[in-house]
Amino acid sequence: MRAPSTLSTPMARFADALLAVDLPALPVDPRRQTVSFIDERVQTMPSVPRFGVKAIGIGVDILSKLAGVDRVISLVTKLPIPLLAEYPRLIRSLAFAYIWETWPATQTDGAQ
Amino acid sequence: MTATNEWAANHECEVLVIGSGAGGATTAAILAEAGHDVLIIEEGPWVDQGEVVPFSLEQMDRQYRSGGVTVALGVPSIAYTEGRCAGGGTEVNSGLYRRPPEQAIARWQSEYAIDDFDADGLLSICEEVEAELTVQTVPGEHTRASEILRDGAAALGWQHDESPRWMSYPEGGRAVDGKRQSMTRTYLPRAFAAGARMLTEHRLDRIVMSGGSATSAELSTTATGIDQPTTITFKSVFVCGGAIQTPAILQRAGFRHRVGRTLAVHPTVKLAARFDETVNTPDDVPVFQVKEFAPGISFGGSASHPGLVALSLIDNWRDFGATVTAWPELAIYYAAITSQGRGWVQAIPGVRDPIVTYRLTKRDRALLGQGLARLALLMLEAGAGEVYPSFKQAPLVRNRADLAKMTAAFAATQASVMTVHLCSTAPMGENYKRTATDSFGKVHGATNVWVNDAALLPDAPGVNPQASVMAIAIRNARRFADERAG
Repeated sequence: MRAPSTLSTPMARFADALLAVDLPALPVDPRRQTVSFIDERVQTMPSVPRFGVKAIGIGVDILSKLAGVDRVISLVTKLPIPLLAEYPRLIRSLAFAYIWETWPATQTDGAQ
Repeated sequence: MTATNEWAANHECEVLVIGSGAGGATTAAILAEAGHDVLIIEEGPWVDQGEVVPFSLEQMDRQYRSGGVTVALGVPSIAYTEGRCAGGGTEVNSGLYRRPPEQAIARWQSEYAIDDFDADGLLSICEEVEAELTVQTVPGEHTRASEILRDGAAALGWQHDESPRWMSYPEGGRAVDGKRQSMTRTYLPRAFAAGARMLTEHRLDRIVMSGGSATSAELSTTATGIDQPTTITFKSVFVCGGAIQTPAILQRAGFRHRVGRTLAVHPTVKLAARFDETVNTPDDVPVFQVKEFAPGISFGGSASHPGLVALSLIDNWRDFGATVTAWPELAIYYAAITSQGRGWVQAIPGVRDPIVTYRLTKRDRALLGQGLARLALLMLEAGAGEVYPSFKQAPLVRNRADLAKMTAAFAATQASVMTVHLCSTAPMGENYKRTATDSFGKVHGATNVWVNDAALLPDAPGVNPQASVMAIAIRNARRFADERAG
């Protein structure tokens, strides 16, 4: 069993908030476990995309502290800006693949 | 077994083979059997077939580079995967086998001026490969997801066939009973039987050059707990790291001419189709392929683990997400195109991984849209109640009227485009302006450096390239051995 994330990185904080919005009924433990998986996968990404993801993560983290994470999530998921738009898409891809692979009976809202 | 991940400061060999996939394993076997002292190095671990569930996250963790999260940057970016384990991509791919098309062989020969290269010779080697890998069609029952492709194509009168696979089956066995005859079961044991050795979990850091000659290789181990370098001295080196790693290795060694400039892939777009029965077989892929529009467009089936089904729906989660709980009734299919676009692989000093880019042409983008529309039509004809295309703002497709809406809404830039067939980053031939190596893989400007993997293919063959890669690698290795045998 994967250890739950401590949300110690900008990417982990954003992923946790994004999952809370996308899958509101996903219990906290599986959510944190999923965030831990995403964190690990990002660490193993090839150097340049990993650097890009981390840079965007830091920018989004700073913006979240200034403007509120919900507003920032709404912004970055709707704006069709290349690369920036790939950030939530990447996190969602990793998260959803992990969740339904690990708990295939998960409901659409994350309920288990 | 002569594969080990144990660390030692120094090794010596006559021929170093970098990589153990379709190119590296065959090269090692042919050269070892010809009496050469061969050492194979592989960055990933040795994982026996059956140790991990095919197409699962665990397999991605253990046998794919970067856990399967690799991307060629572009608009759109194209996700791709590379095997990173003993046997390379042959351990993790679909196992679908296609001989190189004769038109592709003729085109490569004429446009790239490849010496002693003809269909008869190459297809004769393919016959050997087919015997070694027990290439065959499914003797017994197909999966339902596979039959859907066949039935949909038949209903439309479209050309389709069953792709053979490098699988062994019990007599009358079903599709799901197949055992993959990958490199760890075939050419690597052959190489070991002939005296070859193999170092797993060792990553090549650089090839040391002296003028045009490579003299040694410096490696670091990827196994945990060891932080010591390894040096290997050799007389000749074959770079077989695949279409992404091979050009990066060559560039770091100082080879630039036509290296990494012409990456070719088969871009694919996907959809998930829902039926009123269980169709999902998570651990296997459909074997029927639709070739009505080949070589421009081909259709086939993908792995459909529940996690991959969820992934196929995320572009429109708000509208499509509710269907994820019905994943046993869903299967994922793809439309693949032969692309006119090209990509780059560029090693960056001081950075571990190369940067990869790919640019789809206008024609490619249009072809992807046409492919997805025709694939959706095929699914409807096969009895799908609902079709979920994988691009942002795609409509749910239930009938032909919805197909028109889907076609109008499609934009390749909004699609989840991916590929698994990567090639052509060090093309072979005597046409110096277009090639990185000579007709047998020897790198231009080098005295003892060869390439022998998918990087050599002049362009994407329009079919699964593994047979092409293996046939060319065997041809080139035999040439090397024959020349040294005098």
